[in-house]
Amino acid sequence: MDFFDRFAIPHPSPVIYASMVAIGLTVIVIIAGLTYFKKWGYLWSEWLTTVDHKRIGIMYLISALLMLFRGGVDAIMMRAQLAVPENKLLDAQHYNEIFTTHGVVMIIFMAMPFIMALMNFVVPLQIGARDVAFPRLNALSFWLFFMGAMLFNISFVIGGSPDAGWTSYFPLAGTEFSESVGSNYYMIAIQIAGIGTLMTGINFITTILKMRAPGMTLMKMPMFTWSALVTNAIIVFAFPVLTVLLAMGTMDRLFGTHFFTTTNGGMDMLWANFFWVWGHPEVYILILPAFGIYSEVISTFARRNLYGYKSMVGSMVIISLLSFLVWTHHFFTMGQGALTNSIFSITTMAIAVPTGVKLFNWLFTLWKGKIEVTTPMLYALLFIPTFTIGGVTGVMLGMSAADYQYHNTMFLVAHFHMVIIPGVVFAMLAGLTYYWPKMFGFMLNEKIGKFSAWIISMSTLLAFIPMFFSGLDGQARRMYTYSESTGFGPWNMVSFIGAAGLAVGFALIVYNIYYSTRYASRDIAADPWDARSLEWATHTPVPAYNFAILPHVNSSEALWDAKKHGHELFPGEYEKIHMPNNSGVPFIMSSIFFVWGFSFVFSLWIPLILTTIGIFVCMGLRSFEKDHGHYISVDEIEETENNLRGA
Amino acid sequence: MKIDNSLPLEYSTEENSNKILGFWIFLGAEIMLFATLFSAYFTLVDRTGTGPTGAEIFEITPVLIETILLLTSSFTIGLGIHAMRIGNKKAMLTFFTITLLLGLGFLSFEIFEFVHYVHIGAGLQTSAFTAILLTTLGTHGAHVTFGLFWGLFIILQVKKRGFTPETANKSFIFSLYWHFLDVVWIFIFSFVYLKGMM
Amino acid sequence: MKELFPMKQVMGFVFSILLTTIALAVYFLDMSITTGMTILLVTAFIQAAVQLVVFMHAGETKDKGAIYTNVYYGLIIALITVFGTLLCMIWGYI
Repeated sequence: MDFFDRFAIPHPSPVIYASMVAIGLTVIVIIAGLTYFKKWGYLWSEWLTTVDHKRIGIMYLISALLMLFRGGVDAIMMRAQLAVPENKLLDAQHYNEIFTTHGVVMIIFMAMPFIMALMNFVVPLQIGARDVAFPRLNALSFWLFFMGAMLFNISFVIGGSPDAGWTSYFPLAGTEFSESVGSNYYMIAIQIAGIGTLMTGINFITTILKMRAPGMTLMKMPMFTWSALVTNAIIVFAFPVLTVLLAMGTMDRLFGTHFFTTTNGGMDMLWANFFWVWGHPEVYILILPAFGIYSEVISTFARRNLYGYKSMVGSMVIISLLSFLVWTHHFFTMGQGALTNSIFSITTMAIAVPTGVKLFNWLFTLWKGKIEVTTPMLYALLFIPTFTIGGVTGVMLGMSAADYQYHNTMFLVAHFHMVIIPGVVFAMLAGLTYYWPKMFGFMLNEKIGKFSAWIISMSTLLAFIPMFFSGLDGQARRMYTYSESTGFGPWNMVSFIGAAGLAVGFALIVYNIYYSTRYASRDIAADPWDARSLEWATHTPVPAYNFAILPHVNSSEALWDAKKHGHELFPGEYEKIHMPNNSGVPFIMSSIFFVWGFSFVFSLWIPLILTTIGIFVCMGLRSFEKDHGHYISVDEIEETENNLRGA
Repeated sequence: MKIDNSLPLEYSTEENSNKILGFWIFLGAEIMLFATLFSAYFTLVDRTGTGPTGAEIFEITPVLIETILLLTSSFTIGLGIHAMRIGNKKAMLTFFTITLLLGLGFLSFEIFEFVHYVHIGAGLQTSAFTAILLTTLGTHGAHVTFGLFWGLFIILQVKKRGFTPETANKSFIFSLYWHFLDVVWIFIFSFVYLKGMM
Repeated sequence: MKELFPMKQVMGFVFSILLTTIALAVYFLDMSITTGMTILLVTAFIQAAVQLVVFMHAGETKDKGAIYTNVYYGLIIALITVFGTLLCMIWGYI
């Protein structure tokens, strides 16, 4: 019985117990449903073993939306607790667990997969390819992410949630001050998901560099693809730092090493250093694809070529390099001297310049364009002023001397939410709405969509602008309560109303999905937005092979040219198409990784060794495998094309 | 699958060419992995707590032997790839086997070195310096170990299936991996051992 | 037999041994830290370059632009990480 004690929650509450029940019931319902409707075979052959980038993209999307819900509930709980002084809704321990999971879930398990979803679905189509360079690896990336997310998400019902912040600084995250397994979950779940992300980086760089359609030189690629290329380059060089860091953290917690301890030579601040060497490029990994989406949406709905193609590309490349040069601004107050702080202050302010270039280019694209305000365009238009507010406060924070006032106050919290939400979240919602018809064959309702966009953007302002003021007034971040005499009450109450508004806005999006699934017409064009790039030159639904004939391209707006200037996109005859086979190994290997991670978290050494062997066995099997894929015959292509064209 | 016969077999199909580029990018990521370990090493190198310093525990002879073994193995695998390119299966397999044996030799010396360190009080838990030292050396050693198994599997596949675009591609990629491990060792040899013993 | 030992590979190997021997000088001879570090840096980077170009055939195919860009980028960011960390954690610390 003692053995099972380790799985108990150190700090339970009614909400946690209720969640345990809810999770249990949901799992039972899902298993029962699949069995009753006899869908296990379908699930296995169509989704669990798929290597198709489009399906993988949709799985990432579903995961992201589910995680958005989890992170959002965390947020509402925090805002509710802080809405009035000395509130008793959450105690300090729970509050710590909630802001920790909110941060990790939103960044690693919501924003990252959302970006992966769009990159996976769109990039191969945009470059006129049939899939990514390494489809099997792509599937593995997804399942590793999924298992990492599952591992992290069960922490709050088995063993205890991490509670040292999403940044998990030592010595707080060490065994002396964080005794529960919560921080083990942090180290290991993120590690598993991170390995998947690194593989995606390698996959997409190779895909974009090597598999573009004939005629598509690098400088003729659509802007979203460029943003994907640069983002994946940052991933390749930033994520290994996280791998090493989490490994060292795991060793400190589980093997008694002294990397980050306060004795025997350990240096606790080294954690913060490496965390941000990874962490700062990470936020650019989040924002650059978002910028890519905005470029697509703005040029499509202003009916104009994107202004300043070359400077858009150049600015992203510069941002990618500079993003590795600014990390110390996250810990200006940690004890470095003025010279060090000044160097990083300058690099931080410098990185605002290429971002500004991009913003002006979008404005110039809008200027003299024939603007059509659809839901995606509305998000883009709302993004520009809101993100600017967040961005300029970033420059304020970047001045190291001034940062001594702002650091770790609510001012900082307001800054990063005011760049991430308008920057990344709006773009993801815009991308979701924009690409929805291509993914699912019907449009999301415009009226509900625009209404949600307004509610979400206005609520964002309402929720976070007061935080600038309360932060300047002295409210620290990560504090579970405050006394009435501080005067923070009114600011926090307004924030709470804003947060409630955000909840309403996101609920409306869910409602939109339900409503449109039920009522929207399935009789839509393959190119419903009258767009400009190759992904819209496919049928809806997109056949497995994407393009029956690979397109030949002669400009950066291949589809627009074909439509308006009579350029022949698909010259030539049908030929048989080589496609990869499905495989169960990614799912199985990732499931083994899940058990491996769980064993590691709870120091179950025998299962750990066995699952480690299992993982290597999977790799060995892959090495000896002789799988050359399959061919789709010309007859089959003809039949599929005729069916899709007819519809 | 279209084979371009003007190129060496390992590059000759589009898929092969993609895999080689993909692996180079992976090596870029590995550069950062080891860079992080080195950054931590240089930061923690003097933080020896109550434990020994590098100068007190490093010995030149085993380090030199490890270096010669690994450097020679990098040479022999290069010869192996050359043999593959001129179609000599027997020579390629021989060179690859020698490479793995040299690698095994390297690993044996390194394991012996670790055991020795633990005996003289420089274990993983002793101090920040020993933690990062053993982690850095250990990460490199773990990569070598993984390589021994991977290399063995490739030898078995080439033995059974001969030179096909797939086996040639895998052999070449493995050689990239092996050469890279030697490059990392050059830096370990110079900046961990030699610098520590200066 | 001779065709199994191409000149490039053999010279590369010999050169690497030479560079290793030079690096060993910092152990066997007395010299200042600066001299020692310079010798180590120069020999290490040259030997790494030899491995990359001669042994790993980095410049051999039409992907060489991407490969070299990847290596340089990785190298630059690696150096930034190493020296930036040292700056923040040790040298720039008050």
